[in-house]
Amino acid sequence: MNIYAIGSGVTKFGELWGTSPRILAKKAFAEALDDAGIPKGRVEALFVGNMLSGILGGQEHLGALFAQELGLNAPAFKIEGACASGGLALHNAVNSVLSNQYQTVAVLGVEKMTDHKPEDVATALMGAGTDVERMSGATFPGLYAILARAHMAEYRTTEEELAGVSVKNHFHASLNPKAQFTLRVTVEQVMKSTLIADPLKLLDCSPISDGAAAVIITSRKPAKKSPKVVASAVATDTLGLAERESLTELAATKKAAKKAFTLAGVSPSDIDIAEVHDCFSIAETLALEDIGFYPKGRAAGAVARGEVTLGSKGLVVNTSGGLKACGHPVGATGVKQVAELIKQLTGKSGRRQVKGAKLGLAQNVGGSGATAVIHILKI
Amino acid sequence: MLGRTGRIVSWTIIRVPPGDFSYQAPYPVAIVKLAGGRKIIAQVVDCETEEIRFGLKVVTVVRRTSRPEVSEVIPYGIKVKPIF
Repeated sequence: MNIYAIGSGVTKFGELWGTSPRILAKKAFAEALDDAGIPKGRVEALFVGNMLSGILGGQEHLGALFAQELGLNAPAFKIEGACASGGLALHNAVNSVLSNQYQTVAVLGVEKMTDHKPEDVATALMGAGTDVERMSGATFPGLYAILARAHMAEYRTTEEELAGVSVKNHFHASLNPKAQFTLRVTVEQVMKSTLIADPLKLLDCSPISDGAAAVIITSRKPAKKSPKVVASAVATDTLGLAERESLTELAATKKAAKKAFTLAGVSPSDIDIAEVHDCFSIAETLALEDIGFYPKGRAAGAVARGEVTLGSKGLVVNTSGGLKACGHPVGATGVKQVAELIKQLTGKSGRRQVKGAKLGLAQNVGGSGATAVIHILKI
Repeated sequence: MLGRTGRIVSWTIIRVPPGDFSYQAPYPVAIVKLAGGRKIIAQVVDCETEEIRFGLKVVTVVRRTSRPEVSEVIPYGIKVKPIF
């Protein structure tokens, strides 16, 4: 695929009570345009990833809203796929360029969550599950906790090993000024944090966040050295957790990853950096196994030993701080992941730069694994 | 769906519930494999949370699922209770 990712922008993630979604979108887009070094008029279409604006904010029709706000007199689309909305928006943007409908398009991921009560956000997020899951009183931490317990029983994964995911991602976030949490945490602090849905504790869980991210892609030959999008793949699974064959893997991730590696003509061992969907500590563990970086049952221990922490020789995972510590404004997350890859591959990541990174992978998950999106970028 | 037996294959205790369930927390939610192989997700009732374990035998029952507003219809659904 001759598609270049020429620019990226990410706002500060966090509790941004004084900043509206319009302002967030403008900031992310302006940074991406500036990074790309192209005039705004070059952008022919806009793809917006968002999940909760309707249920929380009463605002739908985001394509037109943000096209106006960003001053783009252009076709615009809102793409929804729960927490994979951002990745799906990019996939659709890539397809639109591949089809030659457009040459240069922008992808915007945006979410505003912290203006609402946590119970209301928990209820809204359960819109990504099934009616039966909602009727059972399940929450997303609860669904991933069920996966965690099954994984712990089958592979003897421990809570301390899972805590290692949060420790690593908080460390990475401490080097990312855009992250929601720049404080470091210890295994002991994770273990002592409040239970949310047993066995998951507060510090196993990504936060509720506000934020936006933007990426610009083009089929035109860029003026400066830019990464190519060498794979964009999507897979789906049953919407509900109970209908799945296995509770110790996300089959959609496996399927999308396999497709993406075939498209890119690379294998997991070739990847230098990965941004994976660590909405909960167990989710990063599942991701690293299901993408193929580790055999089943081996990822949590490896993360806890520091194998994928900045400074290690091989693969480094979630340099942004991941969803856990960079924050998880759901619609923005999938776009932020790819923005982080672009920054890393072009050597603009400052203190968290992975030296010589050439090949990056992003994995974005919707719901409890009903949607998985994988992108691979190469410089 | 009533009176079907099965076994718990994984579970959690919900401590931070959605709004409608606030008054019930903490409560257990489990994936149950029913005889015949179909799996369902349901709240576990009529037992202490410490009694829940892998392979616990349960049966499906009908229960009120959440507390409605005065003017609303009372919602009922499927839950499971242990057979000790």
